[in-house]
Amino acid sequence: MADTFAAASEDAVRTDREGGAAHGASADLVVGLALPAKDQDAIANAVESTRAALSDFAAGLRAVVVHAGATSAEPANPADPVQIVPMPAPPGVSAEAATSLQGYADGFRAIVNVAKTLQARACAIIGSDATSIDRNWIAHLAGPVLEGGFDLVSPCYARHRFEGLINRGIIYPLVRALYGRRVRNPFGPDFCLSARLFERVPAATGQPARVHPVASLVPEAIVTGMRICQSHLGVRHYPSPDDAGLSVLLTQILAPLFSEIERRAAFLQRVRGSQPVEEFGAPAYLPEQPTGTDVSRLIESFQIGTRNLQEIWSVVLPPSTIVELRHLARAPATNFQMQDELWARIVYDFALAYRVRSINRDHLLRAITPLYLGWVASYALKPDNTSAEAAESIVERLCAAYENTRPYFVARWRWPDRFNP
Amino acid sequence: MWDQVGQTLNESTVRVVSRIASLLPGILALAIAIIVAALIAWLVATILRRILRAIDFDERLESWGVHGVAEWSPSHSATVLVARVAWWGILLLGFVLGLGAFDATLSSQLAFNIFAWVPRLVVSVVVILIGAVVGRYLARHVLLEAVNMNLQYARVLSAGVRWMIMTLAVTMALDHLQIAPGIIHLAFGILFGGIVLALSLAVGLGSKELVRSSLERESEKPFVEIEEPFRHL
Repeated sequence: MADTFAAASEDAVRTDREGGAAHGASADLVVGLALPAKDQDAIANAVESTRAALSDFAAGLRAVVVHAGATSAEPANPADPVQIVPMPAPPGVSAEAATSLQGYADGFRAIVNVAKTLQARACAIIGSDATSIDRNWIAHLAGPVLEGGFDLVSPCYARHRFEGLINRGIIYPLVRALYGRRVRNPFGPDFCLSARLFERVPAATGQPARVHPVASLVPEAIVTGMRICQSHLGVRHYPSPDDAGLSVLLTQILAPLFSEIERRAAFLQRVRGSQPVEEFGAPAYLPEQPTGTDVSRLIESFQIGTRNLQEIWSVVLPPSTIVELRHLARAPATNFQMQDELWARIVYDFALAYRVRSINRDHLLRAITPLYLGWVASYALKPDNTSAEAAESIVERLCAAYENTRPYFVARWRWPDRFNP
Repeated sequence: MWDQVGQTLNESTVRVVSRIASLLPGILALAIAIIVAALIAWLVATILRRILRAIDFDERLESWGVHGVAEWSPSHSATVLVARVAWWGILLLGFVLGLGAFDATLSSQLAFNIFAWVPRLVVSVVVILIGAVVGRYLARHVLLEAVNMNLQYARVLSAGVRWMIMTLAVTMALDHLQIAPGIIHLAFGILFGGIVLALSLAVGLGSKELVRSSLERESEKPFVEIEEPFRHL
């Protein structure tokens, strides 16, 4: 049976390259590790967790665990309902890229291609460190799809207040305000997709495609009216950090996010307010660790940006925003507070500048780094930001600011020339 | 005597008027050539613009990694830039051809000289344009990188890069036009060297404290690093 799945896995690559028909093998659930696992123990952990989770579902279900890092299928007991297959390496992906965000996107596509080939009912994709996985993870991710009829299960994590800051400050509030659904982690990285949804994931691998498979996932599900829910998965362990630097990281995240907004512009203009999505599991909050929060370097980065990037920012931001930023740069560290509405307008302005190509897109996205660091400093200095639970209410206020500022974005989107600074 | 003066004046006037009269058909022909060239240029530019828009030329250029052109272009569109270059090129050609309607020897010589000089001029202009585009792109890139690395002298670095590239481009253009090559070479050496020296001094003096403090930090570094509390992913 393992050979059959290995053949199916190889077929997935061939199907991907040639656009051919799917193979005859099948599975109910595909669990894929999108990034290379640290060691065999991590893979064994994923397999055991999948096996344990399967016992929670209806009898007779079969699952396949797809992972990178092996060259051939491990010998397995044909009677075992959980089989392991190596992930087909996307052509043209370097070893360095395999651990980056681009590597995750390529792994994501490869796993989805395996799921398509195996005609799976559900496809769970794990982007966190494989050591995070336990029985509950798989059950909470796959359960709503296999048994609840949902099309997309998005994750919620127990995090410290200073973790996942790009998501807290940009991705979550922006997606919520523009698409109208409160999906806590639109970029995952741990998801479960129904067959209906993963059939819509773009198949191209290897080259950075115009449609990013991860960034387009939640928007696709919302726009096509699919059923979305989110599961509380608990603590997430992170894979090895990307050494590329914050500005590169922001570029890699914001480019597909803004491109997706451009693609969905017609839908976005009809959205009003935001609706919660169904949740499974209970939210958990990590106890606060006694770490110092020295934000002086963040504020310094913001001030250096304000001094040097006026020329670029003035192409993107209206004069009133520039004036507010100058005032903020002069404020003492104790009073350093970037208003939520100001930050929301800045993000909207960058999304608009990305659309109209006011300046080179790579430069545009790099120019947001000092502003983002200013927001992080402001977020860290909020007097009520004392615990992970309190941080949630701060993010909630930020989301409200994004939603209140939404008409500004829509107006500028429709008539960019009228509002040009 | 007054008769002689009057006669001479009459002859001069006749000569001037006849010269002007002989030039009039040429001017008319030149005007017609320019108008026809303008019409053709407008037609070609319109067709070019439509074709380039139909094939998403701006987006393709962006996806090929050519960013500077669109930034420098009018309306931030490489399509508009190509259309305008075609428009002006055809208009210039019409003007030069229109000159042929004047006195054969003079205009031929003039046209020959212009035609011989135009390619050099065009190449020089193109070199300067490329220098401006590349200089602007790299200067902005350096500025952003330097700011994101928290360097205080980011703008000095950026301006230095821009001026170095512009100096190089202008020197190459003037050298190509054979305008005072000796002076150009000397001036280029002095200017380019001066910019590099100024940059080195600026960076060297500016980062003296930075290097010292980083060395001190390295020597006093504790065995266990304090983890940065902020995780962006």
